[in-house]
Amino acid sequence: MEKAKISAYQLFILIVLFELGSALLVPIAIEANQDAWLAILIGMVGGFCLYLVYHGLYSYYPDIPPTEYIQKIMGSFLGKILAFIYVLYFIYLSARVLRDFGEMLITSFYWETPLFILNTLMVLLVIYTVRKGIEVLARTSELLFVLIFLLGVSVLFLIVVSGIIQISYLEPVLEEGIKPVIKTTFTQTLYFPFGEVIIFAMILPYLNRPEKVKRIGLLAIGFSGLILASVMAINVSVLGVNNITRSPFPLLSTIQTIEVAGFLERLDVYFILITVIGVFFKMCVFFYASVVGTANLFKVKESARLAFPLGLAILILSITIASNFSEHVKEGLHVITLYLHLPLQVIIPSLLLLIAFIKNKKKKSKHSKNLFPKRKYRLVERDKK
Amino acid sequence: MNHKWLLLFLIMTSTVFISGCWSQKELNELAIISAMAIDKNEEGKYVKTIQLVNPGNVAGGLQGGGNGQSPAVTVYTAMGDSVLEAHFHATSKVSRRLYHGHANLIVISEELAREEGITDILDAFERDPEIRMTSRVVIAHHTKAGDLLKSLTAIDKIPAEKVNGTIQTTERARGESMEVTLQDVITTLTSAGKETVISGFSLIGDIQQGKKMENVQQSELDTTLESDGLAIFKEGKLVDWYQGEMSRGVVWILDKIQQTDVILDWKGQENTLTYNVVRQKTKVSADTTNDLPVITVNVRAEGDIREVRSQIDLTDPYEILDIEKEFEKEIKKQLENTVTRTQQNKSDIFGFGEVIHRSDPEKWKKMKSDWNDTYFPNLKVNVKVEAFIRRSGNRTNSYISDMKQ
Repeated sequence: MEKAKISAYQLFILIVLFELGSALLVPIAIEANQDAWLAILIGMVGGFCLYLVYHGLYSYYPDIPPTEYIQKIMGSFLGKILAFIYVLYFIYLSARVLRDFGEMLITSFYWETPLFILNTLMVLLVIYTVRKGIEVLARTSELLFVLIFLLGVSVLFLIVVSGIIQISYLEPVLEEGIKPVIKTTFTQTLYFPFGEVIIFAMILPYLNRPEKVKRIGLLAIGFSGLILASVMAINVSVLGVNNITRSPFPLLSTIQTIEVAGFLERLDVYFILITVIGVFFKMCVFFYASVVGTANLFKVKESARLAFPLGLAILILSITIASNFSEHVKEGLHVITLYLHLPLQVIIPSLLLLIAFIKNKKKKSKHSKNLFPKRKYRLVERDKK
Repeated sequence: MNHKWLLLFLIMTSTVFISGCWSQKELNELAIISAMAIDKNEEGKYVKTIQLVNPGNVAGGLQGGGNGQSPAVTVYTAMGDSVLEAHFHATSKVSRRLYHGHANLIVISEELAREEGITDILDAFERDPEIRMTSRVVIAHHTKAGDLLKSLTAIDKIPAEKVNGTIQTTERARGESMEVTLQDVITTLTSAGKETVISGFSLIGDIQQGKKMENVQQSELDTTLESDGLAIFKEGKLVDWYQGEMSRGVVWILDKIQQTDVILDWKGQENTLTYNVVRQKTKVSADTTNDLPVITVNVRAEGDIREVRSQIDLTDPYEILDIEKEFEKEIKKQLENTVTRTQQNKSDIFGFGEVIHRSDPEKWKKMKSDWNDTYFPNLKVNVKVEAFIRRSGNRTNSYISDMKQ
């Protein structure tokens, strides 16, 4: 744990950029056809619940990262193994995001450039940022969020002005009933992108005002969920469901459809800017959590020293996890959601919360009842310090 | 200190390598494609024609250069067993890298569209990240697709721009053709409830004459390119051509009419009144209570009287009301003709299937598989037209009324 503090506003921006990161790129929830936006919104509600679970754990151990409190909850041996699994999980996810980034650039723009080169450039940037620490990352996000916001608003404006939105593509709503939507939610959108906020459990201890964590987190998830749902709705209403299922990067296709006044067209650069910034932050957060988690688990004093070796590992992993794009996407949508996301994002955190709850209750009954009567008291205690 | 200088040196050198020039091509290494055409020859091979821009000859008169001496475009053809192979064979004829980023027109030959259909050839275009999905698609009518690109044009020096511009203008002014993008074509091909319509374009005159520079050095061109009706597709194959009012009917039901004119006979006199539609809105709705759905096409048109050739009292509001009624009947008749012919073609180009899909998904599921052959031809289609005459231009009654009194 480095000695750093981030503000509530910075946390909000980090979560939003993180959620948008690679989710803006790919056709999320398209299994629900034209109701993809609905699946995203339901996934968002699920995301609220998951965040409350992570926040519950945080409120029991507000000053230490998950890699440490897992050991307190599960005992040293089992806890260490579990923490190690989580660190590996974070590393794997950052490799996936890196691969997404590289694949997107190669497919759409740099088809003669090797994947290795593009990924190396990104990884170097991420390593640099993470070595500078969480405060720098948070401040950068504040700066770039303005840019992304302006880009998003202008793209939305151009899409509306060029008259390519056909709301009728969104109908009929719930053609096959609610079932496929719920199914998509529980096989995809709940975990990607919303469940991935579990990574912020590693970052929450840095927040300077712990009482705001709950509200800010929920707000950020809600905000990004609304953005994702409306972007997907716009994609569908511009391209139609058939075209989206066939395009690996639907937002790019949507932006390419814009034609305003005969010269405002071919605005691919908007897409590149939005996604590169988004993916950069997503990678940074994942990578930061991996580095801090490793340092915490193996008691490395200066976590920044781990950035280079871990970065190299992620770079190699990002290239070796799949031999082609189809394999990468298939793994992302069908394998890891079930075998990694579901246990690590939902089941284990819920169990941990349950155990923590029981343990703390026991503690409470053992000690005199006045020691921790209410949370308010604890806050006052800390302020005095 | 030394350390710092080394770092600076490293940063400086890295700018050479990481500034995104991995596969950089300078402008003078690119051959900019303005249009592509696909034909099929007797041996069954695809013939791809590419129209390249000669940048020096496009610029205005003052810039000089080779202006006026040689044409603004150069055309190459190549053959292949697939569209992409034909494209790569073309590279043996061109000294530069073929660049698709500015290609804005894809021409498909009538023959190919009729015999084999367009389904097999579009994937190469859709997959290539360099080709834009907003490229316009056109069917060459009565001519080879390649010839459409070879003829030189006046005013717009690049024939691709001339073709696109003409289609856009006729769509806006009269509504007999419409701009169809590659994305539109593929969307309608994959949709079960809507079939494809593509604008036609034809070459008038002799192609050998059209290739020469002399063609554009005269006031009236021997060989010209003209917008020519709409090609109607069924499951990717061309089945019919619509011309004139028939094709306008299609554009009208698709709600893409911006302006158009309607002529009316009045009290026994032929073609007396010309009505200029300034704006209109067409809504298609479906009633699925019965076994066979009923489609209602609601047209609401607003416009002016722009030509009068007899004695009609346009100052009388009751007279105007009568004229409106007649125009409503005329427009209704034209639209119904289009619908009837389309039902005979068994190809739902209006997207009535999609309307039913949206209003009654359950019913649509049953009809989806044989929509075009069984259900669509037997649909009952009600056309309801409301036409409003708002004003009559710069005069009230025609001078003809004064002459005859």
